[in-house]
Amino acid sequence: MISFILRRLGVMALTAACLTFVVFFLTNLSPLLTNLAKTQADMRMSDAQVERWLGNRGYDRNIFVKYGEWVGVVPGYVIEGADGVIRARCQMPGQAIEDIAKYCGVLQGYWGRSTRFQEGVGDIIQTRLGLTGILMFWVMIVMVPAALILGVLAGMRESSKLDRSLSTFAIGTTATPEYVSGVILIALFASTATGLKWFKGTATSAMENPTFENFFLPVITIALYGTGYIARMTRASMAEVMTTQYIRTARLKGVAFHSIVIGHALRNALIAPFTVIMLQFPWLLNGVVIVEKIFNYKGVGWALVEAASNNDIELLLGISVVGVVLVLLTQLISDIGYVYLNPRISVS
Amino acid sequence: MSDKSKWRVHHPAAEMYAREHKQGQLSRREFLARATSLGIGATAAYGLIGLHAPAVRADGHGKMKGGTIRVQMSVRELKDTRTYDWSELGNETRGNLEYLVEYNNDGSFRPMLLDSWQINDDATVYTLNVRKGVKWDNGDPLTAQHIAFNIERWCEKDAEGNSMAGRMGTLIDESTQRVKAGVIKVMDDYTLMLELPDPDISLIAGFSDYPAAIVHPSYNPSDTMNAIGTGPYKLVQLDVGVKAVLERKPNHDWWGTAVYGGPHLDRIEYIDYGTEPSGWLAAFESEEIDMVHESVGEFIDVFDGLDLKKSEIVTMGTIVIRPNQLAEVEGRRPYADKRVRQALQMAVDNSVLLELGYGNRGSVAENHHIGPIHPEYAPLPKQVVDKKKAMELMQEAGMAGFEHEIMSIDDDWRRNTTDAAAAQLREAGFKVKRTVLPGSTFWNDWTKYPFSSTNWNGRPLGVQIWALAYRSGEAWNEFGWSNAEFDSLLKDALSIADADKRREIAAKGEALIQDEGVTIQPYWRSLYRHTTDKVVDAPMHVSFEHHHYKWGVTS
Repeated sequence: MISFILRRLGVMALTAACLTFVVFFLTNLSPLLTNLAKTQADMRMSDAQVERWLGNRGYDRNIFVKYGEWVGVVPGYVIEGADGVIRARCQMPGQAIEDIAKYCGVLQGYWGRSTRFQEGVGDIIQTRLGLTGILMFWVMIVMVPAALILGVLAGMRESSKLDRSLSTFAIGTTATPEYVSGVILIALFASTATGLKWFKGTATSAMENPTFENFFLPVITIALYGTGYIARMTRASMAEVMTTQYIRTARLKGVAFHSIVIGHALRNALIAPFTVIMLQFPWLLNGVVIVEKIFNYKGVGWALVEAASNNDIELLLGISVVGVVLVLLTQLISDIGYVYLNPRISVS
Repeated sequence: MSDKSKWRVHHPAAEMYAREHKQGQLSRREFLARATSLGIGATAAYGLIGLHAPAVRADGHGKMKGGTIRVQMSVRELKDTRTYDWSELGNETRGNLEYLVEYNNDGSFRPMLLDSWQINDDATVYTLNVRKGVKWDNGDPLTAQHIAFNIERWCEKDAEGNSMAGRMGTLIDESTQRVKAGVIKVMDDYTLMLELPDPDISLIAGFSDYPAAIVHPSYNPSDTMNAIGTGPYKLVQLDVGVKAVLERKPNHDWWGTAVYGGPHLDRIEYIDYGTEPSGWLAAFESEEIDMVHESVGEFIDVFDGLDLKKSEIVTMGTIVIRPNQLAEVEGRRPYADKRVRQALQMAVDNSVLLELGYGNRGSVAENHHIGPIHPEYAPLPKQVVDKKKAMELMQEAGMAGFEHEIMSIDDDWRRNTTDAAAAQLREAGFKVKRTVLPGSTFWNDWTKYPFSSTNWNGRPLGVQIWALAYRSGEAWNEFGWSNAEFDSLLKDALSIADADKRREIAAKGEALIQDEGVTIQPYWRSLYRHTTDKVVDAPMHVSFEHHHYKWGVTS
């Protein structure tokens, strides 16, 4: 088991390294660097000024060297610029140029500095991930029980009216992407258009003080999408279990229907949905980008959009690492969890 | 209070509105809204139309002491004040870092950290009197040396991104890229003399612009947030893209309380709701904001539908639809002939362009690019629109069969306005072809197109725009116009600091631009802001400035 986990962590590090290099390469393409210089300094800069700006900050060097600096295996640059100012990668705000560290990269625990927010990438990710974490937590709290109940109810009597209506609902919500359902929900429940101002159409105040009123719509927008999907999976799995021999035997023995569902079918029916739920975490990150933008909730998804539109290299790298870790960690958990739920499978 | 700040009793535009009201073109309410938005007190506005103002509550417009206003505005990262490139940056620091003068909606300049100023007749010697009793929040008194330090800082032309250098052009020595020796003279602790090598009447306007914030000599450009300032508010929180918060400085005796009153609010929160106005709408509907920075486009009407207060301000931002006199089309210069240009102008009804192109959100202009808010504005007799006579002129010039190709950028209002102009020309019987270019390519050649439209932002003085775009040989002279008489008029006007004297010359220049048919300049654009009912005295500002000390909330 231990060696399995170690192997997985190794894969995670390798994937992160490959992915960040790809991101690094793409964000360091020369038109994007020009764009960065212009948004940082002055939109009307001449080409010569752009070159000088990039040169002064070490952007014009070999990509492997720059990537090495970010990882922390190549010493950080110290450049005396054309304007006579000495700039160094490892110089923290307020630090004198003499006592800066030689290496400063991810290996040293330094995630770089965001050009968009003028703040350490580590701090930004911490705050923003925290906010997204709160959002995801409530999404899970709403989504998982709702989906399982829907799925089990629909799957225990296949083709019944209950099954048909719940399935229609589930397919409907899965087929509606967040950017559609979010807008519809706002228009219905938070605007003067219908007059039903039950909730708030923006979650900006929820960053400081989440309440039912300002947090319900973003949570339900993400949850609806996932609910339908998980409910379908649960239904399929439940329906299959309900046709197995041991359930039939139990019924013939005269066991009450609810005891069959709860006592006999449920555990086996939940094996497949468990994997699906774990896979939902990375999927949620997707939905979070859209929903945070729509509801103006400033979590990691919003930071990602801001970083991408401003070509904020180090923040993009930081967020990609978060993405890789999230995907592989949830997969690891789902694999290990599977072993406990289904004794027929082992990891080694 | 000094009278050197060129206050006028009545703004010409207000008088124009009063005339329109008497002729029944404006309702009383509309007149009052417009006149007071021009900075005229309600009592004076009532006086203009011969009525007595209703009794006003004596508690200062019903503002209560304290309170918070939450404003939608994009929250940007701060940088060195002189390199500011967005008015939002100025608003983030204006509560702390104040300005020498304040530009107001009626086009006047009000002294802030300066107490008054004198300018000699040919605008080469400026005497700046620094306000006494102004204290930095570290306890130091503000002196003339501090102002000199700031002006020197603005004149460092080689500093990366320093846009103040452009405004201080006459003070700068090109070889050293610094202020010229001997230009700034500190006479005593509260008096400063600027002796310019050339006349420049735009310095005071330059002092009011948002990169001209006054900083303490100990200012560290990389820590603008915690800079020592003279203002009543401190920036206590700044999360780029998220939120900025201004709070009253607890132990700071602000100079302005005695002079202009205020500040009333305890706290101002700027909350960033992104660039998409539907987010601002959601914020209003969720009662998370009290005010937007600017209401734009169709959302002006949407916000009107909510229970909000609207403030409108006519700016000197505009569009010109102009022929280029030097441009060659198929081997000839169609617009070198004055009659052709006059015919184009005569065929176009500017009020129709305002209606169709910009939804009537502005006021009609007069084809000479100086407007009611410019201090030197001189009203001219109204031009007549006569499509028949226009066609006759065109025939006389032998150009009746010529096809005019009018270019515009592909956007909303600029394209629509140009379309409306083209339709008017077609109505007059001219052949017109419209070409719409995408924004990415339009600006490559904008000064050289034979016939095209261009938007222009407002500037405080009318002659500033003339100097930029109407003088012979200027880089931005998109009209291809070169006229010795106009150049000499402009040269005179640029050395007269007194607006009333300058108006006489401006009137001649205005008439000349009209008569030469230099351009169609159909309307002045208005800006809008919506606030909730509780917000008092926070109207839209011509150049997007937030004057926090005036703001308040009703109790």
